[in-house]
Amino acid sequence: MHIVATDREKAERVRASIPEKIGLEALTLVEDVFLSCMSDRELALLRFLRLGYRAGPVVLSMHGHPRVAPVLGAQRALLGEAHLYKGFTRFADYGGTLVGIIQPKNCVLPHLARHFALRYPNEDFLLYDKTYHLALSHRGHVLDLQPVDSLQLAPIDEREARYQALWKQFYRTIAIEGRENPRCRMTHLPKRYWAEMVEMRELF
Amino acid sequence: MDLMRKLAILTESAKYDAACTSSGASARQNRGDGIGSTIAAGCCHTFSADGRCVTLLKVLMSNECVYDCRYCVNRRSNEVERASFTPRELAELTLEFYRRNYIEGLFLSSGVCGSPDGTMERMIRTLELLRYDHRFYGYIHAKAIPGASPELVERMGLLADRLSVNIELPSEASLRLLAPHKTRAAILGPMAQIARTARQNRQELVRYRHTPVFAAAGQATQMIIGATPESDYQILRLAEGLYRKYALKRVFYSAYIPAVADSLLPTPDQKPPLLREHRLYQADFLLRQYHFAADEVLSAEHPHFSPYLDPKCSWALYHPQHFPVDVQTADYRTLLRVPGIGPKSARRILDARRAGSLSNADLGRMGVVLRRARYFILTRDQPTGVKLGREAIARALLDPAAFSHGAEQLSLFAPPRLEPAISGAAPTLPEAVEEVIASLPHPL
Repeated sequence: MHIVATDREKAERVRASIPEKIGLEALTLVEDVFLSCMSDRELALLRFLRLGYRAGPVVLSMHGHPRVAPVLGAQRALLGEAHLYKGFTRFADYGGTLVGIIQPKNCVLPHLARHFALRYPNEDFLLYDKTYHLALSHRGHVLDLQPVDSLQLAPIDEREARYQALWKQFYRTIAIEGRENPRCRMTHLPKRYWAEMVEMRELF
Repeated sequence: MDLMRKLAILTESAKYDAACTSSGASARQNRGDGIGSTIAAGCCHTFSADGRCVTLLKVLMSNECVYDCRYCVNRRSNEVERASFTPRELAELTLEFYRRNYIEGLFLSSGVCGSPDGTMERMIRTLELLRYDHRFYGYIHAKAIPGASPELVERMGLLADRLSVNIELPSEASLRLLAPHKTRAAILGPMAQIARTARQNRQELVRYRHTPVFAAAGQATQMIIGATPESDYQILRLAEGLYRKYALKRVFYSAYIPAVADSLLPTPDQKPPLLREHRLYQADFLLRQYHFAADEVLSAEHPHFSPYLDPKCSWALYHPQHFPVDVQTADYRTLLRVPGIGPKSARRILDARRAGSLSNADLGRMGVVLRRARYFILTRDQPTGVKLGREAIARALLDPAAFSHGAEQLSLFAPPRLEPAISGAAPTLPEAVEEVIASLPHPL
């Protein structure tokens, strides 16, 4: 194994050169792939960048190229999971603050920040990422992202329990008898999301 | 009656309404004084046990109804527990579910409580509470009641993002037979008004930016499939006409599920036409996204969908004169005609070919389903196409979903030719291949 020591100056030079030589979209791609869970992403990015420096911005159009397709795929996986979490994240009301927990494969919290800030401009909320130990907080209209080892939560109060029960009732009732399709449900809603979803937890 | 019981009853009553999507087309911008936003793409919050996407709190305001539509579980003469939300409790419930990120918004319909206008008033009251008292900027899809007065339809459109009027059944004759109180005029009147008002509203918005927006996400409708004898061709032509005439965003198809026994309707032992509903959605996508005309998908001579082939593969097999397609030079619409190429992969092909010629492997990495597409395209690897027997092609194009529906009758009124193949035991793969090959008109 060959270990490369980080050189901040060189790293900055590379980072600055990407939008210049390959375009802004390429820099976003690199940042997204870092956030993704792709194994050996550093090598894949290196291969991509080398091609990019040679070919220029057109590299982003080479959807089929063996050096480009994997990184585009990783970005797609990250953005896809972020999109799913926009729907699958569940918040609970703890004395006025909304608290949610996710356990993603990719580091999606930065992509969720803007979404939930726009959705709840006047709410205080906390979104905790169990996989990457990151907490997104929104208080008094200020967004913050901090590393947090773990999150301990008090039990929910009666009002919260009531709304959770109402939601579970709704969820149970909407399925049409005679059209049960657990396989179809699993395809769209993989089991790894169930633990943090109020209505799916007990189906484990 | 407590809220939990009401929710159970009014969710149960609304669940056969197929529409489920949210849409971000709304110009409703949260200026920071409220709660909620709309995302451009639809956002699924969960999936029900029947595999369907759940995005909205879908309920009836009330399941009391003065009408007696024969297919409806809430019909006046049916013994079922009745309930109604108050506008206040429904608005609060919607808001609290929204805060917890359970939903994108509200989908609200209702039985006809007393009169269409009376019912509309109560629904409008709920929406007003949400928009003005709670400053709710999330998504609202509201059903306009057939026969409602234009003023109320207009008020509803200024509060909701999307409006629907259910067309219910695919022909006037069927409507008169099964839902005589819902006349064609009572349904098409509001649909025409909504289309007209929305069009005028868009024009005004160009001139005056602060014009209140009317039904930002447009209009939709729904019809029941399998309760009445119309052919797939008739239904598809109707949908095409509705898209054209009323600028609908979506038509929803709901397989008839016998909720009540009735002499005029399929008996409860008939399985719901799920495959047929599936084919209709596939054909509907062909109309909206693949630039097909209804007459290309079906015709008076072939008025029913194949159980074994999806409509696009069926078209490709029956029109060999349009193939092979050169992926290097074909335009977007032509690429879309190839089985295994959809809008996303077609766009990627257009983008990627600027950088060089495309191989099969490239196409595969771009999301093209080569298993199907290879018989219909020219690429760098196959510059003269692929010469293969009909059996191999038919096998590659067969729709696996057709075999998971078992002994379902594709249509209650399907022509005799299809019935032996699908009644009784499910057809085997070789039988299906035989069937498909036997019906091909030209040598491939």
